[in-house]
Order: sequence, then C-alpha cells, then structure tokens
Amino acid sequence: MTAWLVRRVAASVAIVFAVVTLTFFLLAAAPGEPLLGPDERQVDPHVRAELIRQWGLDEAPPVRYVRYLRQLARGNLGLSFSLHRPVADALAEAIPNTLLLAGAALLIDFLIGLGLGIYQALRVHRLPDVVLGNVTLFLYSVPTFWLGLILLLVFGAWLRWFPVGGMSDPILCPSVSSVYCTLDRLWHLVLPALTLGLVGAAGTARFQRAAMLEVAGQDYIRTARAKGASERRVLLRHQLRNALLSFITLFGLAFPFLLTGAVLIETIFAWPGMGRLATDAILRRDAPLVNAAVLLASVLVVAGNLLADVLVAAADPRIRVRDTT
Amino acid sequence: MLSAMLRPRRLVVVVAALGLVGAATACQRSAGCTGAYCGTLVFAAVGEPDILLPPSTQQVAARDIEEQLFLKLADIGLTTNTIGDEDFQPLLAERWEWDGPLTLVFHLDARARWQDGQPVTASDVAFTFDAYTDSAVASPYRANLRRVASVKARDPQTAVFRFRERYPEMFYDAVYHMRVLPAHLLRGVPRDQWKTAPFGRQPVGDGPYRFVAWRAGQTIELVADSTFFLGRPAIRRLIWRFSPDLQVAATQVAADQADGREALYTPENIARVRAAPQLTLYPYRGNAYGYLGFNLAANGDTTQPHPIFGDREVRRALTMAVDRARLIKSVFGDFAKVPPGPMSQLWWIWDPEVRQLPYDTVQARRLLAARGWRDSDGDGIRDRAGERLAFHILVPSTSQTRKQYAQLLQEQFRAVGAQVEIDEVEQSVQSERAAAGKFDAILQAWNNDPSPSSGVPQVWSHAGFRGSNFLRYDSPVFDTLVSRATRAASSKQARPLWRAAVETINADAPAIFLFAPDNVAVFHSRVVDVRLRPDSWAALLRTWRIPPDRLIDRDRVER
Repeated sequence: MTAWLVRRVAASVAIVFAVVTLTFFLLAAAPGEPLLGPDERQVDPHVRAELIRQWGLDEAPPVRYVRYLRQLARGNLGLSFSLHRPVADALAEAIPNTLLLAGAALLIDFLIGLGLGIYQALRVHRLPDVVLGNVTLFLYSVPTFWLGLILLLVFGAWLRWFPVGGMSDPILCPSVSSVYCTLDRLWHLVLPALTLGLVGAAGTARFQRAAMLEVAGQDYIRTARAKGASERRVLLRHQLRNALLSFITLFGLAFPFLLTGAVLIETIFAWPGMGRLATDAILRRDAPLVNAAVLLASVLVVAGNLLADVLVAAADPRIRVRDTT
Repeated sequence: MLSAMLRPRRLVVVVAALGLVGAATACQRSAGCTGAYCGTLVFAAVGEPDILLPPSTQQVAARDIEEQLFLKLADIGLTTNTIGDEDFQPLLAERWEWDGPLTLVFHLDARARWQDGQPVTASDVAFTFDAYTDSAVASPYRANLRRVASVKARDPQTAVFRFRERYPEMFYDAVYHMRVLPAHLLRGVPRDQWKTAPFGRQPVGDGPYRFVAWRAGQTIELVADSTFFLGRPAIRRLIWRFSPDLQVAATQVAADQADGREALYTPENIARVRAAPQLTLYPYRGNAYGYLGFNLAANGDTTQPHPIFGDREVRRALTMAVDRARLIKSVFGDFAKVPPGPMSQLWWIWDPEVRQLPYDTVQARRLLAARGWRDSDGDGIRDRAGERLAFHILVPSTSQTRKQYAQLLQEQFRAVGAQVEIDEVEQSVQSERAAAGKFDAILQAWNNDPSPSSGVPQVWSHAGFRGSNFLRYDSPVFDTLVSRATRAASSKQARPLWRAAVETINADAPAIFLFAPDNVAVFHSRVVDVRLRPDSWAALLRTWRIPPDRLIDRDRVER
C-alpha cells in the first residue's frame, strides 16, 4: 500500500508540473495585449513600454519560465498585473469562497443524487423511475450556465426569493460576524450551489441507479435473501454498501467537474471565487494569476483523484490484493 | 425513499433559515439613522478597480472611487469647457492667479486635511507632480503633464506651476489629471513599487469620503467624512458592488438590490430598469465614440498601402454605402447620435453642422465602378483585376454592440457589392492586432477625457503612429489644422479650426464614424440633487441627498 501510494503521489506531482509548464508556455504563446485595461483609453507608448519592462514582460518566455520556477520554489506566486497585488493574496481570498461553493454543490450533488439513484433502483421500471430518469437526463444534458441563468432570472429577478448575485448583503453583512450574516451568506449560496449541485446530482443519480441495479443481480444478494435477511438489511448491508464503492470513484471525478463548473457559475452569480478570478485573469492576459490558478486547480483535481483512489483501496480489499501481488 | 425523507426536513430548514433572516433583518431595521445625513447608496459596478492610487491607474472603476477620496486642486465645471479657467470650480485650491504668461499660482484652502489629521500642503502638490511625471511610476497621465515644467511649493499654502509654453488648456492640464497625494505617507514607498503598494488597497485621502473596506471581488465601502472642509456629504455610506457582467449589474438594480449605476448601454437594459417603479433614469452626454476604421496600410505590412482602403475614393464610397442613422436606431434606439466626426458628445467641438459624406448608395456604386470595382462574374461581389472587393472586420467578442454593428455593416456593404467577413476576437487580441496593423477594418471605440486636444492627435495625427493611430491616417492638412486648433487662444478661435480639421478627415474617410452613445444612468428615486458630470458621473456625489422622509430601511442601517 505504501509503495503504491508513493508511486501515485509521484505521478501526481509529475502531472501538476506538466500542467504548470504547459500552461506557462501556452500563455506566453497566446495572442493578446497583456497590459490592456478594461476601458478603451489611449495608452501612451512610453508608459506602456515602461510597464512592460517593470512587469518583466520584455524577457523571453524561457527566461521568464526559469524565474517563475525559482519563485515557485520559494513559495512566491508572483504579482498580478491586473490586480496590482501579490497573486497569493488574491488566491487566499478567493479559494475559501470557491471551496464553500464547491462544497455546498458537492453536498447537494451527493445527497440528492444518491437519494434519487437509490429511490429509482428500488422502483425500477415503474412510473417514478421513468419520470425521474427523464428529469435527471434533462438536467444532465443542460449546460450549467444555462441552468444558472434560468434560476437567476426566475428566483432572483422575477420572484425575488433569492439575491441576484454576490456573496452577502453589502449593507447589512460586510463581514460574517453574526448569525444573521451567516444565514445571509447561506441565502446567497443557494442559487449558485443549486445550479452546480443539480447538474452533478443528475449524473450521480443515474450512476448510482445503475450501480444499485448491478449489485442487485449479484449472487450474494440472492444468498442474503435466501438466508432470510430482511429487505431492509439486504438493502443497507449488502446492496447499498457494495454499490457505494463506485460512488467513491465518482467523488473523485466530481472535483474537476465542480471546479470547471464554478468558473462559469461564479461569473454568472458574481461569486468572488477562483473561477471568476481566473476568467478575469485570462481575459486580461494576467499570466502570473492564470498560472497560479491553474496550478492550484490541478493540485486540487489531482488530490481529489488521489483521495478517491486511496478511499477505494481502503474500502475494497480486492484492490489492495491486486496491487501487492 | 431517502429523498422523500429529506424533502420535508429540507423544507423545514429552509423555512427556518428564511424566518431567521427575516427576524434578523427586522432587528436590524429597528435601530437606525434618521435625519439629513443618513443614506446608503449601493452602486452596481461592472469590473473592479485594480488599485486606488490615482497615478497608477486609468481605470474608470478606480476613478469613480478616487473622486471621493482624493481631491484635485480645482475641477472642471458641468460645461466641461477645458479652455481657460473660468469654468473651473475650486477644490483644494481656494483661489488661483496667473503670475505672468507661464506661471500659475494656487492658494490652498487652509482647512484641507488628510484623513489622518495632517494638513494638506503645497509640498504635497509638488510631490504629486513629481510622482506623476516620474518614469518609475509609469503613470498613464504622464504625457498629459508634458507641458508643465515644474511645480514648487512657495510656502505651505502656495503651489506654483511653471509651464514650458503658453496654450489655451494650461489650467486644465494643471488641475485635471492629478489628484493630490499625501507625501508624508507615500514618500517612503519606492516609486517602482507604487503599482503594488499596500496604500493602493487602503488609501488615506483628503476627499469627502473615507475609505472603509475593500472586499476583493465583492465591494468597496466608503463613509462620509463629517469634517470635510467643503461641507459634510449628505449621503453617509457609499458601496460599490462588483459584478463581472453588465446584465447581472442591471438586474441587481432592477430587482432593488442596488441603488443604481452610471450607464446601462443597451436599449434592453434601459427598458428593463424603466419598468421598475423605484428607479429614475438620467440621460447625459456620453464620453465615447465608435467607428469602423479602414487600415490604410496593407494588412500586416505598414510599409505598403492597403489594396482596397489605400484608395481614398473607395473609402468614400464605402462610407456613403452606410446608413448610419438606421444603424444607430437598430442598435442603440434613441440613446445615441451619429457623430459628426471623430468625437464623443462630451467634447465642446461637437457640431452637427459639420460637413459629412451623405448616405448615398447610388453615388457609392458609381464611385466604386469608376475605380474599376465591377461585378464581372455576376456573383454579387465586385472585383478588379481578379481581386474581389472583400475584406475582414475585426471586432471584440466582448462587445455586443459592436458585434451587432459588424453584422449590420456586413449587410449594407453587401448591397453595394462588397463582401465582409467578421473576425470576432477577444479585446486583448484586438488591441494587439490593431497595434501591429494586422487587420483590414476594425470596429473601434474610444473613451475620451474632456479635451479633444489630446484625444484627436493621438488617434488621428501622424504623431499618433507611435500611439493609437492604428489606421495610419496621415494628412498634413489635418495635422496642421489640429495643431493650430489646440494652440488657439480661445474656444471662439479654435472652433472654426476644429471644424475645418473634422471636415478634412470626413472627406478623407479613413473611418466611418458610427456612434456616439448617450449615457443613461439609473438611480433610486429617493435620491435627489443627482447631478452627473459627463466626464465623470461620480464627481459631484458629495452633493447628492436623500431627504429624511424618503429614507428606506437600508439607509438607516448603522454599522
């Protein structure tokens, strides 16, 4: 198990390094004026030249890359030229917001997805299964941003049940310092988390239904029933438990989905997270910020997958046996 | 089964949470501010400032907030007349006088204080000039100050400006571009580090509002300085709430989750907020103009003329093929004007009587045929010596307005036998390609400051080849007229020169001047005395009020 883990970690580090390197050179090669502001105003050419020199953009990409790696080795992510501040500071503020959103979405995803999947499997080919199957298929097919816009329009702009974007009430809750403000933040979280979570839940439900049905046909389920185990015991101890193994894999896969989904959702809901930061940075060609955001995202994705692999290995003895032989 | 179990529980949790929110809101409402100095305004802003250090940023989002934090010596009036000093209002300087033709003396208001209690002195003014013109700071305003030779402190209350030459906008240059900075707080910061200085995220100013907090990606909050020497601002708190998208910002305003924004840009947004009963619209002169520019040099090779647009008559023909009034109606509705030349409505040289090429498709076809462009193969597209009258229009993918324009222009050009392909690219890519001359035609827009004297030469004169004259329009006649106009002693003398210059460029048709939008702001109707200066809508915010009998819940909230 230890040797396997070391190999997986080493592979993960190599993947992250490759992603970082590729991103750096792709960005360097991408067209686009890096120091352009969002407003269309004339920029004095001398001032522009001075800024390019000060931000180190006049150097060749390999030189910049070496400097970037040196900085990275010292834990320095550089300075963002669109935000005029250290990249680490910007990320430190944005990451908790993205994790909050992704965490809430993950919760919705698995609570609803698992619940529906199990419910459908227990009523397979009956009306509720058919109806829910179509609903989940519809949700799974819907682009996340479209669902977000619809929820925003209906529940934010028309019905006014939820706020139209943002993370908290700017007047009453400049910071989370009371129960009211915590609830206010949750209130702001509902629509973006639902958007991300519902689309994920649709996939999880379909996956879980299939896993439950596959397990239901196994010999040990028949054996359990033959031994006189109650339906409840068969469901909880034998069917669900074994079906949940695939769920752990799904958990690992959900991470990249949530992170990539958050990029659009954070923009639509004005949620101040990493996705929105990265989108702005890409549009502004802010290489230090884009590089750092990609680095972080790749670390999270790789870590999520690694965690899922470890959990599966821990939960399923067959995987350990195969690995050690 | 599980979901069925969860459903009622979830409902209970949601209902309880919403109930608590409601109860807590009610609690917050019970306490509160009453009287003439209450009120909180939330502005739905698109985009967030990069830094709140005036010489280090040119962003409009930053400028709006800096208006409240840092004062200028004097400010331009509502007329936005940039010539002479008669239309300027005192701010930090209580008065000024000319000491000879090249020396301007400002007397500071002795009551002016930095928000840490230090007095504002003439040394701050001299320090500010030094910073703005220091290449290490790389201020975007540095070029605007090139004709100011020096700024010295004669005594703590007197700042002396010396100019290199005499010209009509000396006063404007002295006061408009610089916001005075606190020397005692910034002197120790190395100049090449100003762009990331912590001061820029926690500024200390001398304006009507104090900085309170900057929550990245969310809000910037200011609070009124009750001791402000020019009078206590009536609105107590100002909050800029940032959205990445105009639609979200407009929706927040329409849904009463923000109190307003300075520009709505599209007829759809205007219609949406017009339907909200709590809001009032405020149209005012816009500071932008847009055009379809023809690259006079070959695409990617500035040493050769463009095979189509190098010909003046072809450019004139294409200009006459475009019904600009109809395009405006289609894209902007009633909220834009056809510009009489390269100018926004903000500029005092705006003159609808200026001679322009007419919309005349018959004449356009005749001109094209006369230049050898004929449809020899009957495919609807003109050609000459085997070359088709076909070109690409570069358009930024982020601008819905310009994308619409590109499609409409495509149709209008097709009607006279010209084929157009639309290249949608990101704004940053468009800027890069424009600067490199890698385009045929470009849909470009510029935001202007109040003076045509810098904006016109940078984009349309030979000197602008190193700057923003991406089209490489080169007319000695135009350059001479502009140069004389910018040196004229009065607006009366300058106006005919500007008119002649604009008529020259209109006749040469390096671009089709398409739109000069009106700005339409929207603010909550409880706010009164709303005055919007066209060059900077937030400049007079300190004079806005909310009468005590119109205060609503969010105005009364205490922090």
